Amino acid sequence: MESNELTQRFAKDLVNQIAVIVRTAQIHNPANVAVVSSVEKFVSLVNTLAREDGPVTLELVGEYFYLNEERIKFSMEYLLNFDFLQREFKRRSLGSLRFACEVNAGEMQTFLSAFLNSQYSPDPFDDLTLGMSAANCIECGRIRRIVEDDNYDLRKAVKRTYFNAVSYTRGVMNKIKAGERVSIKRAKRVIESMVDLLLEKEELLLGMTAIKNYDEYTYHHSVNVSILSVALGQRLGLGKKALMELGLVALFHDIGKTEIPSEILNKPTSFTGEEWEMMKGHTLLGVSVIFRMKGFDSSSIRAAIACYEHHIHHDKTGYPKVQKLSDLDFYSRIVGIADQYDGMTSSRVYARVPLAPDRALSLMMKRAGAQLDALLFKFFVNLVGIYPVGSLVMLDTRELAIVCSASPSEHLRPRVVMITDDTGIKAGPRTVDLTEKDPGGKHLRSIVKALDPAKYKVNIAEYLL
Amino acid sequence: MPQAEEIKLGQELMQSFLRARKNLRIYPANNPVYGKTVEDAYRKVIEYLDLYGDLDLKLRQNEILLGDKPVFQSVEKEDNLAFILFKDGVRELSLQKGLAQNEMKGFLEAISYDFDKGDDEDVVTLFWERDFDHVKYIVDENFLLEDETYEASATMRAREEETDEGELRRAYEEALKEQAEARVLDIVPITRSDLDQLVKEIEKDSGDKIPRLTAILIDMLVCSDGEAARENLKLICGALEYAVQNGLIYSAVHILQSARKTSEDPNVPETLRREMEQVFLFASSPPVIKRLGEELDSGNMGDLGILMDYVRHLGREAISSFITILGELKTIEARKTVIDALALLGEKDINALAKGLSDPRWYVVRNIIYIFRKIGDRRAVDFLIRAARHSDVRVRMEVIKAFGELGGQGVIQTIRDALDDPEQSVRTAAARALGQIKSEAAKKIIMNRLTAKEFVDLDFNEKKEFFEVLSSWNESGVVEFLLRNLRVSSFFRKGRYDEIKACAAYSLGLMGCKEALPSLHRLRESKNRLLSEYAYTAIKRIEYGK
Ligand SMILES: [Fe+2]
Ligand SMILES: [Fe+2]
Repeated sequence: MESNELTQRFAKDLVNQIAVIVRTAQIHNPANVAVVSSVEKFVSLVNTLAREDGPVTLELVGEYFYLNEERIKFSMEYLLNFDFLQREFKRRSLGSLRFACEVNAGEMQTFLSAFLNSQYSPDPFDDLTLGMSAANCIECGRIRRIVEDDNYDLRKAVKRTYFNAVSYTRGVMNKIKAGERVSIKRAKRVIESMVDLLLEKEELLLGMTAIKNYDEYTYHHSVNVSILSVALGQRLGLGKKALMELGLVALFHDIGKTEIPSEILNKPTSFTGEEWEMMKGHTLLGVSVIFRMKGFDSSSIRAAIACYEHHIHHDKTGYPKVQKLSDLDFYSRIVGIADQYDGMTSSRVYARVPLAPDRALSLMMKRAGAQLDALLFKFFVNLVGIYPVGSLVMLDTRELAIVCSASPSEHLRPRVVMITDDTGIKAGPRTVDLTEKDPGGKHLRSIVKALDPAKYKVNIAEYLL
Repeated sequence: MPQAEEIKLGQELMQSFLRARKNLRIYPANNPVYGKTVEDAYRKVIEYLDLYGDLDLKLRQNEILLGDKPVFQSVEKEDNLAFILFKDGVRELSLQKGLAQNEMKGFLEAISYDFDKGDDEDVVTLFWERDFDHVKYIVDENFLLEDETYEASATMRAREEETDEGELRRAYEEALKEQAEARVLDIVPITRSDLDQLVKEIEKDSGDKIPRLTAILIDMLVCSDGEAARENLKLICGALEYAVQNGLIYSAVHILQSARKTSEDPNVPETLRREMEQVFLFASSPPVIKRLGEELDSGNMGDLGILMDYVRHLGREAISSFITILGELKTIEARKTVIDALALLGEKDINALAKGLSDPRWYVVRNIIYIFRKIGDRRAVDFLIRAARHSDVRVRMEVIKAFGELGGQGVIQTIRDALDDPEQSVRTAAARALGQIKSEAAKKIIMNRLTAKEFVDLDFNEKKEFFEVLSSWNESGVVEFLLRNLRVSSFFRKGRYDEIKACAAYSLGLMGCKEALPSLHRLRESKNRLLSEYAYTAIKRIEYGK
């Protein structure tokens, strides 16, 4: 264990040092002392390893660097440099660096100038290898993608949009807590890109909602509910403008929680009766917060209505208790469904143990008609499928897999990420489409049953992010 | 690289966009200038597209480039076309072949938006909503990022705890051991009738949301107290303001009705009910009423009667607000409606209404007097006496009319004074007012006036008015007086006295007095044409009831 930690440390330093070299060289010329000394440091690091283990291979696979086939864990302190280096590698289609023998500073400088020169070239990888012909000891390998992925850029955009939405939500909620004025302008822009992405490839952004183990539940939950609501709204045939409004309304549905003391909001144990009552108050508080934040206009009115109504059930049970409210507002019903689903499948809210996605759906199915609007729920099930993204399933091949996106045509045959082999041994992630058939027309794999990912502490993020 | 001519056309285009930005902000969309502005800009763009293909522009903070040449430059804050686009992240803009005029209009409307309004509107959002086919733009979203490192750090933390191999193994084994359970859920396909129902739901959803919001705010109010209650009351006022601001008068009425119901609900705590008066006070406040007035004037309100439903919930506080707008309204319909409103409100506080009599605008004063007439409250007399000396004849007329209708002891002196008014119209109005009052005192005043020495010199029409008024007392004394006047003669100023005779004939005719027939037949033969005609008409009236 200890040695493992040591090698991790070493590996991180090594990768970090490459990033340092590139960054320094982007600013200074190669003879500059800063460049020279960082190159020397790297040379000494890599040669230490080479002397002990022979050739050193650094590989970028997906989002991770591997050093001699061992995955390097991310760490906070190197985050920016890792991220930077990843981008620089990917920009050049560079997937691996192999140090076949001990290197010297001159060879590293050759690599460095070839690396920098290839930045704007139309065929960066070819130019890079061409420029390195003098560096005998260093070999470059072209990037390989884990799966053949046509949607690589789209996936990037999806992730970016998702996390941008979350960080925006966090910013807004903190500002409201601090009593500062907030602008809704950026919220609109965030929702616009969500709507665009959902219109383009619904399942990608939808997949982001399956990852529930973030620290900051409330922010992720708000974004998830917004995504699920817009996706449902899109299935219901709402137009672009309406989707944007719905997205805004959903994003702010729990905004009243900013008025609840964080000791209660984030309490790790169960609520007392009194605390529960305070929690329930987030619905009413939301109305005030919305109008304080945005004044009165047609979308703030809709947002306030959803804040108030999203925990009222279709049959008027739930909270707050209402006197003479007519049927729930259309948006409230949509947000209510998205909210229940995301809440039930997450670990931080009222239920401390998250439900497996398929379990949550079946529980909701029992409520449909009484507590939930049956019609809208029908569309919702059609949206997320029988095995929603994030479901842990066993296949008839005895492999375990995680559902990563619904199949538009066959609800029982989503795309999955395989996580074990047929003997239950953890295996490198590989994406498989369950609609695939053998030449005889028989499906290659089918889902046999769904399991509870929380029960086995399966980290969905490890596979879907 | 673009040549000089292309650059020149590009520059002209930017100028036409700027012009459009100006015109679209000044003129309403239904104004011909608006349409023409769009057309002009469109024609220019098409000219460019036909000559050079897609118009690809690069945006910088203070300039717009076509190729590498600037076609627009400005460092001003106002009307800086470059900055309008740049500030929200637009870095490249392309108007493409096939551009439709409607797209041009949408584009120009977007760039014409008043972004200084501070309503968080955004040019990219405006583009986005319009879903252009031939307007493409590249936006730098980077400046929107709240926290650049968030994605990487959140991703890292989420992935940190790797799935344990042992746990996976356990999952695997338990899955094999357990009986495969039946699937918990089935997808129910969406049917035709689901879609029909959905369409209905969406249609239902398009309605006004204020009633729902009102129900929520009232629900919130009745279960709150203290500071929270005051906060909730403010929200109700906010909703009301929004409704009025946007011309949703029906919604505003709905809010007031709901508030009224609650304030009269015995189950609601007394203190809260009292505090609810704030809502009605707010509904009566000058800015709200002013906005209502604008809405009335705009002609968008449809049935103006709805305003009365609003007014019914207001208190006397609204009176001064309405008086203020009365003088500002432009259309007759709007003024009529406000007059009705003030008649309704004025009953609650005539003192407040009377303040309007000091308004510097004569027409407001006249309107207020008219409202007093409508209300018909004799207490008004005290206020109106002063207005009887108003410098504008139209005001004095209105006072006399009001007095005629109100009657009573208090008005007589003022009417009598009005008989000496320099304006004939006021004098005749005073006479008519006396006829309306029809008291002995009134009769006496009229008779005195008719027998006064100067009377004969008055204009014929004025004399005739007095005689007509007198005819409303169909009694022997009056008849005798009139008959006597038929016979009056003089060598001097014969014409003037013939006029008196004609008037008396007219009066008797109106009264249908048979006794007068012999004299009238005689006068029918008079050489004076006026007299002869009046006698003839009177005879016909008396004989045939015509
Ligand atoms: Fe909630
Ligand atoms: Fe929620």
